[in-house]
Amino acid sequence: MKMRFAISAAVVALALAILPAIGATAGPRTGTKTGGSKDSSAPAPATANPAQDENLHLEGEKRFRSNCSRCHAAPPKFAPRMMSTIVRHMRVRANITNEDMRLILRYMSE
Amino acid sequence: MICSFVLWPRKVAQAGLLGLIIVLAITVHAQEEAPKAIPILTGYTSYFTRVTAGQYQDVPAVTPLLLVPVGDKWLLEARGSYSDTFSKNAAGDYIGRNVYGLGYAQVDYITKYVTFTAGRFITPFNIYGERLAPSWIRALQVTPLTSPVISGSALGGMMRGGFSGTDKINFNYAFYFSSNNTHHLLATDRSSGGRVGFFLPGPRVEMGASFQQVLQADRPHSSGLYFVWQPNRAPLSLRSEYVRSSGTKGSGYWIESAYRLSQISYLRKLEMVGRGQQFFAASNLTRATVKKLGIFGKDARQADFGMNYYFRSDVRASASYGRQFILGNNANLWTVGMTYRFVMPLGPTGSRL
Repeated sequence: MKMRFAISAAVVALALAILPAIGATAGPRTGTKTGGSKDSSAPAPATANPAQDENLHLEGEKRFRSNCSRCHAAPPKFAPRMMSTIVRHMRVRANITNEDMRLILRYMSE
Repeated sequence: MICSFVLWPRKVAQAGLLGLIIVLAITVHAQEEAPKAIPILTGYTSYFTRVTAGQYQDVPAVTPLLLVPVGDKWLLEARGSYSDTFSKNAAGDYIGRNVYGLGYAQVDYITKYVTFTAGRFITPFNIYGERLAPSWIRALQVTPLTSPVISGSALGGMMRGGFSGTDKINFNYAFYFSSNNTHHLLATDRSSGGRVGFFLPGPRVEMGASFQQVLQADRPHSSGLYFVWQPNRAPLSLRSEYVRSSGTKGSGYWIESAYRLSQISYLRKLEMVGRGQQFFAASNLTRATVKKLGIFGKDARQADFGMNYYFRSDVRASASYGRQFILGNNANLWTVGMTYRFVMPLGPTGSRL
């Protein structure tokens, strides 16, 4: 009986874990989030420091060129949400590091 | 004994529950940081005319790839393929032979240092199969002679990832196991293996080594090395792979260079490619095995030259000529055709750039 309860709880937890994630993935663009945070489908937010923005841009471009062009011609920039999927795919396919992925995504979403 | 046997599933369920809560917490936390990923349908189509030793073939093909992100840590990937090969038969009539299959269908769980993959996936051996093989990427459409030496696909689990050692070096790795599958479309070998490599961002050099142990039949093992160099001062890519197998599949290497003429304004969309390769058949082959292996039963050398013209980053025309040297079977290899890579969103994209 206890085992059945534990398995049921696991199934419920699995559903709880997957449903919000699917909602976040397929749901329409909602503008701002509760708490005033920015729309997460928008390009990576600019920092308050323009010099830092420029550094991040240059670093992102550098990581993009050194990682992506190792195999193929440079692709165009897509919408941020598409770019997020593409970069995640390339993270797996080409073993791109977490830091490189974030910088490339930021650069390609600008 | 009975008690522990009964308790075991409960412990597994509890551990699973705990794992799911952790995953849920990580997913919710991570979703606040990056643009929300949406499912996309991507892939490529191609049309190539090949002339191999005087034999014409027209080959239209399509390879769709479905990417479905779930939360910020999960990714479902599935790539299929369909091609039709048209050639003339003895009566002079065109006949078609279609080939279709499932390249991979895998689910990935991505963390900072490790990605866990389950399902059918491309064997992580050297880099050609995983990264360079798609028609819209490969510099020359003719596949290297060493490609069939290892098992191309696996069915099982894999751990892989990349991480920075210092600012000057990145490491990457992939380890996998695969079960035996005899389905005619999804055939895989029971095997295990992996790859380790590093990338130097400064000089833009990547190197690595691979290993594969087949755990069935005559249990051959294969090892390999790869090298990529893209000098900062020239639009040049130099790539190479070496593969050696202990079984009947032989060994070999290829070296390829691609030079983009970006310094000449009216030729900046053109890329010139050259590749040399050598294949060494296994020395312990019987006559029957040589006949069964075809060109892979004999030593071979091959030189290819080609060019790619990029109309856009996703539309490319390619042409190449190669000469294959095999004892008693020298042949000319011509290829001309086009590739188109497509990307389609399957959800709201947000702002368009």
